[in-house]
Amino acid sequence: MSSTVYVDRGSPVHRLNPMTKLVAMLCVIVIVFALPVWWVSGLVLAVAIIPVAVISRCGRTLSRISATILLPILVVLFVVQGLTFPGGKTALVSWGVFTVTSEGLHFALGIGLRLVCLVLASVLLVLTTHPGDLMSALTARGMSPKFGYIISSTLQLIPAFRDRANAILLAQQARGLSVKGSPLRRIKIMMPLLGPLILGMFTDVEDRSTAMEARGFGSTARRTSLVPVPDSSVQRVSRWVMPAVSLAVIVVPFATGAL
Amino acid sequence: MPHSTNGADSRRARHIALVILGALIVVATYLYLVVWRPTEIAHTSTGRASLIAIGGYVIGAVLLAVGSIHRLPTTTVALIPVAIALNIVVGQIVSVIGLPVYLDSIGTVLVSVLAGPAAGVVTGILTNVIWGLTLSPIALPFAVVQVVIGIFAGTAARWGMFRRVYTAPLAGLVTGVVAAMVSAPIAAFVFGGATGGGAGAIVGAFQAMGQSLLGATTLQGLLSDPVDKAITFTVVALLLIALPARFLQRFPFARAHRVFGRTGPKAAQTALAREG
Repeated sequence: MSSTVYVDRGSPVHRLNPMTKLVAMLCVIVIVFALPVWWVSGLVLAVAIIPVAVISRCGRTLSRISATILLPILVVLFVVQGLTFPGGKTALVSWGVFTVTSEGLHFALGIGLRLVCLVLASVLLVLTTHPGDLMSALTARGMSPKFGYIISSTLQLIPAFRDRANAILLAQQARGLSVKGSPLRRIKIMMPLLGPLILGMFTDVEDRSTAMEARGFGSTARRTSLVPVPDSSVQRVSRWVMPAVSLAVIVVPFATGAL
Repeated sequence: MPHSTNGADSRRARHIALVILGALIVVATYLYLVVWRPTEIAHTSTGRASLIAIGGYVIGAVLLAVGSIHRLPTTTVALIPVAIALNIVVGQIVSVIGLPVYLDSIGTVLVSVLAGPAAGVVTGILTNVIWGLTLSPIALPFAVVQVVIGIFAGTAARWGMFRRVYTAPLAGLVTGVVAAMVSAPIAAFVFGGATGGGAGAIVGAFQAMGQSLLGATTLQGLLSDPVDKAITFTVVALLLIALPARFLQRFPFARAHRVFGRTGPKAAQTALAREG
């Protein structure tokens, strides 16, 4: 089981420089959160996120992953805020003690659409960008290579870790460990699982760090890149234009008093 | 923290400045949102509170991570991926088994105790970054909570609270209270209180009793976080007893602050006895 959700569809969106996509995602999130009106989020969704998702040909995967993340949150958000929003005055429907207020639903709509934009934009970035490329691009721009090492290494470790945890759990069950029972009993299961898991994983750490040190990992000298990430002058310009446009979009309504 | 390269003074000063700046931004964000409390956010969804909550916390956390990572020796850097995988895998297993806690910071606490708060901060932030990259971007705004856990666990270890199994949960309770207070503005202003099914229902109940949104998410956090962190700290203290003393003594931080107190053959024997 892979620990990343990256799908290689070879679309124009996939071929963009990771920095361009990262800047675009940040701009979308900042606009949506800085202009807290529900139709701004809707507009961003319709004009920016959905077209990019269609071009990237990951629309189906994107909607599946986002739905699993968003549905529980949105349902809880609308139910809880619709019923109990502190500023709620205008009652729409009421049964007995339960009253749905329009202020509550309006609040839930504002927050909900913002969350939809946040989740869709970031899942889209992760779907279309290989983590390795993103790390190379960020390291080439001066991020400490230690970050790149930790993130890439963890992504490879998680499946191995999960396999080892399952193997230990099965081994302990073969010894007669019961995984059912009260919550307190189930917390006790964690110890025979965690002990061997951590001991096993940590014994590898010392060998790995010796090998890394021998290859100059701790050196602070600037590295060259083994795999250059493709870039173009159009993208270089757009990485400056996008934040400038977002800033204008945020500042102008306040300056002209439209909001 | 030893730094082997020479002529690194100005670089070190820059990293310390980054840590201070990051901490100031996080504290300022919290003070603005909770203590100074902009009046507009209580009754409308049109406040900029959510941008300030998400922006201030994420920028602060990133600065803290950038400033901290350079102080870490290679042994610690090699340890961090294992700790992050531990956070994520145990966090997932716990949610599958159906426990009413998160237990998603065991690795963070373990690294803080062995290698110090700076290492814990890096582990914590990168846990949520990787969680955001692989499972759900919802985790990303909460990275600052892991910063709190890293700093508090490292400080507790320095004060010797991991030498005894019964002092660890106390440190966990305190950490949990602070974590709940720091995470409340994110849960309120970014997620409208709906961070999960059970949590959302509790927030709703508190709101129905007349609490504000921020008050409701703070109380919800205070119900779950201290218990969760007390369990996490206890699990780590038990693990430290089970780990071989030779492994524990490899970390300069643990040696310098006598995190485990009694060491040597006797501790190793106890460890063996517990393991068997």
